[in-house]
Amino acid sequence: MLEGLFGNIIIEKIFFMLYVYGEGYPLGLAKTFGEPVNRIQQQLRRLENAGIVVSRLVGRVRIYNFNPRYPLLSQLKALVAKAYEFLPEKEKETYYRKRTRPRRAGKPL
Amino acid sequence: MRTDWKKIGIKQLAALISEKLRERGIDAILVGGACVSIYTKNRYLSFDLDFVTHATLKKVATALADIGFKRESSRHFIRSGCPFFIEFVAPPAAIGNEPVRDKVRLKTKMGTVVMLTPTDSVKDRLAAYYHWNDPQALEQALMVAKAQKINLRDVKRWSEKEGHTEKYREFLNRLRAKS
Repeated sequence: MLEGLFGNIIIEKIFFMLYVYGEGYPLGLAKTFGEPVNRIQQQLRRLENAGIVVSRLVGRVRIYNFNPRYPLLSQLKALVAKAYEFLPEKEKETYYRKRTRPRRAGKPL
Repeated sequence: MRTDWKKIGIKQLAALISEKLRERGIDAILVGGACVSIYTKNRYLSFDLDFVTHATLKKVATALADIGFKRESSRHFIRSGCPFFIEFVAPPAAIGNEPVRDKVRLKTKMGTVVMLTPTDSVKDRLAAYYHWNDPQALEQALMVAKAQKINLRDVKRWSEKEGHTEKYREFLNRLRAKS
């Protein structure tokens, strides 16, 4: 839906992911969408260079968020939110409704 | 004039780079920690000069090549023997949701640096404190606020707009406590 605007589908997926979950990391995004991790990393780097996302290292994992200091952030988020409304329910269920609440270490389920 | 790259100060380097860019018709504004260094007379020393420009990085690279700076990664430039590195941050120059409106033109022997005003420099540091809880950024905001005349009313207005009235109060308390 936003692919035409942003030039590629990966950017759209990254934006939906960050909009829904607030953050994401390359391997997680790659596994979720079945895309090569280097493709995801390349687009995240592109967004980071443009100041749209920021990243930080947590242990050995680089976590990405929307850059709260990006001056067009509220407008961008509004656009992503609107586009998200139009996503098919099946797609939302598959990609954007993963468990995010904590799970105690060692718990079998 | 021969430049001693090992001993060059941040203000001199900022001026030298600004002039080189200007020669090529490139306008750039100095933002970030380098402004803090200049406004606090190096009480806080940054080794990172952040500029914002709307020119292409290719044009910037050509200008900086004249003084020996090479593009290290997509937006960084370094020079052998020089302790500072230069970054061209993605435009626009903004403090939170607001574009940078006022600029300071700092004249030095090496040329003129266009940079954030002291008030915007404080807001720029506070933005890092507000959004990322960065304690160093709060200290830097305090340093500038103590070393320079700033418009506290504007900082308050902007902080409220950014949704960080509580943290602004912390900043203000710290500022009043030690001054």
